[in-house]
Amino acid sequence: MAFGDYPKEYNPAVHGPYDPARYYGKPDTPFSQLKLNEIGSWFGRRSKTPSAVAGAFSRAWWRWQHKYVQPKKVGMAPFYQLLVGSMVFFYAINYGRIKHHKNYKYH
Amino acid sequence: MLSRVALRSGASKQTACTALVARGSASDVATHDQKTFARPVRGEPGKVRLGFIPEEWFQFFHSKTGVTGPYTFGVGLATYLCSKEIYVMEHEYYSGLSLLVMVYVAHVKFGPKLAAWLDKEVEATENEWNEGRNQTVKALEDAIEGEKTEQWRAQGQELLIQAKKENVLLQLEAAYRERLMYAYTEVKRRLDYQLEKSNVERRLAQKHMVDWIVSNVTKAITPDQEKQALDRCIADLASLARK
Repeated sequence: MAFGDYPKEYNPAVHGPYDPARYYGKPDTPFSQLKLNEIGSWFGRRSKTPSAVAGAFSRAWWRWQHKYVQPKKVGMAPFYQLLVGSMVFFYAINYGRIKHHKNYKYH
Repeated sequence: MLSRVALRSGASKQTACTALVARGSASDVATHDQKTFARPVRGEPGKVRLGFIPEEWFQFFHSKTGVTGPYTFGVGLATYLCSKEIYVMEHEYYSGLSLLVMVYVAHVKFGPKLAAWLDKEVEATENEWNEGRNQTVKALEDAIEGEKTEQWRAQGQELLIQAKKENVLLQLEAAYRERLMYAYTEVKRRLDYQLEKSNVERRLAQKHMVDWIVSNVTKAITPDQEKQALDRCIADLASLARK
């Protein structure tokens, strides 16, 4: 599998048109239906190659796109989500500097 | 027809094969599983609360904490973050607050108008994109309608042809009857002529015979007989005068 190819599980004859938000491999138990003690083994079963991680991010991106950005009449929600997400992200990466501005000495 | 089907199936098989070769996996040619891998459909946008938080996150709380649970959780989390100064309220926090107020005011004040305008634009663009397709569909439907009308007219032509055939038959019948009548009248005329002719001949013959008999009888009367008849008449007159 080279750059720009479809995932190797994807078979157009069976799966029809390619949906970038869809995982075409063998489905595992959804993360939301796991018990707490199963989470470790669930992560153990995940493929952790760079391409698999990139694929997971790509699918999440496209799921978000299909749900909030691509419908015909969207509101401001995706833009606010991007805004809040970037606020959180930049707060996190700047936390090392921001924490020196703490006002209270005793908690 | 058969050759076309063969050509088409061959072509599809070939594309499937090349696709498989290109990806180098899945040796068997399977059919599209329509139920599990249905074609994605463009849906309505996902519901959010407070402008950006997905509705599902609230639903996740509902079964455990009731409808106010998520808000309580949010406020509690914010309180915790602020209280422990994980979230530090430095100078940027206050500019952020003023920005938030501005965004909120703009959202409330211009949001509906902007939404209406954008919806209009979306509709206009979509209509523009669909226009050619709709026109083609409409043209094809019109063509189908026209074809049906033409077929209806062709059926009318059949009726018309039938009517014309009947008309020709009627004309033939009329001509036949006319000729029949002509033959009848001609025969009657000839018969009338023969009748009249025989009548005339008989009348002439009778007249001639009467003339002939009268002339012969007149010729046959001798002066002697005439004299006797005259005498007889005189004698009769004398006898009458005596009475």
